[in-house]
Amino acid sequence: MGFEPKIIAFCCNWCSYAAADLAGTARMQYPHNVRIIRVMCSGMVHPELVLDALSHGADGVIVLGCHLGECHYQDGNHKALARSAVITELLEDFGYETERYEISWLSSSEPDRLVKAFTDITERVRKMGPVNAHDLAG
Amino acid sequence: MSVRAALEWLNSCSGCEIAILNIGEALVPLLTQHLDLVHAPILMDHKYLGQRGDGTELDIPEAEVGLVSGGVANIEHLQVLVKMRERCRVLIALGTCATHGGIPALMNGQDRREGWEGVFATRTTDPGCSVPDIEVPAPLDRVYACDEKVKIDLFLPGCPPNPALIAEVLMAVVEGRDPVLPQKSVCDTCPAKREGKGAVSVVRRFLINAEFLAEDPVGRMRCLLEQGFMCMGPVTAAGCAGRGLPRCIEARVPCRGCFGPVRRDGNQMLDMMNALASNGIDFKSVVDRRSLLRFSGAHGLLRPVKKKPAAGRG
Repeated sequence: MGFEPKIIAFCCNWCSYAAADLAGTARMQYPHNVRIIRVMCSGMVHPELVLDALSHGADGVIVLGCHLGECHYQDGNHKALARSAVITELLEDFGYETERYEISWLSSSEPDRLVKAFTDITERVRKMGPVNAHDLAG
Repeated sequence: MSVRAALEWLNSCSGCEIAILNIGEALVPLLTQHLDLVHAPILMDHKYLGQRGDGTELDIPEAEVGLVSGGVANIEHLQVLVKMRERCRVLIALGTCATHGGIPALMNGQDRREGWEGVFATRTTDPGCSVPDIEVPAPLDRVYACDEKVKIDLFLPGCPPNPALIAEVLMAVVEGRDPVLPQKSVCDTCPAKREGKGAVSVVRRFLINAEFLAEDPVGRMRCLLEQGFMCMGPVTAAGCAGRGLPRCIEARVPCRGCFGPVRRDGNQMLDMMNALASNGIDFKSVVDRRSLLRFSGAHGLLRPVKKKPAAGRG
């Protein structure tokens, strides 16, 4: 059996979680590798949560928030974007490839974008192999 | 009734032991009435292998409470620590080295072999110098905090730890109650004036003096972070406050993070970067961000920088 990555998805309650719901009711297919964690806002996803997920064996982490300017809490996704820059910059410091992390924006009526985002990160991480594989080899 | 206590130091500079001495007045009743020191390498000549050196196995007398300072950097530290855990009912990690790796864990940020070769043989040493392989306990693969190796019951960080808190912890053990220790961040105990970070877009190193009036109390000085200095108050555990003020802030100098992260499993570098970014400050303006882990590099947080392979990974 090939390598099946584990992907943790932090989905904003107001957009991407609703989009995931919609994708479900519309019977759209997306990789079963994705484990969704519902959060009230992408802006509450502290970089430590991302790092924690990776250090506990998640192979990839994706944060999904509302389109910029459409945050339910005014500027939560702008905070998420600022934090995202920190995460991308610091992942290498802690020994993870930056490609294991992604942030993306979509609205609750865009399940197709959600499916595409999930499929993209799953396929990308599948090619990279399990997290920390480079540590074991070194 | 006195409580049997054992002191032990591992990869330590003895600053924590000096902090114990620094307890002051309260130390006298502690030593004369409450504690019975059964083992303390800094104070008394108690040999690990029997007083005549005829033992074959490292031994430490049994004690109710053990205080361990310093991190774990070599095999000897590890053996002593494991024996302390075996012999002490309550084991306390004293000082930031024991709780988070401390300054020696900076070594974790570089390649161990290169580091050791740099210590024992530099360009200026006489020829023939090399890393010793006899008579010196073998180093571990990196510097560990005590809780990475054995179960620790109580954590008392600080570089050095606050004498008042050491006394509080010891008295708590003597009285059989939970100690009252600060849980918040340095900022929560800092009186500096906060007016909002609005104008700050970059942080700089503390190379010029902060703005304040010498005759004014610290409470009338503007927050150092708001003055644009890299102050680690937000991501550092409180506890240093001696006379009511965080020690560095009292000297009008930004916090350097010596008490380690606020939550025990926190990450000072990540948290600081996150705090800056969430407040609209350019986190890339931090010079040498890895040095934010200067006191908490154990627990695998500080790692050698990976040299990127010529061909992209994966």
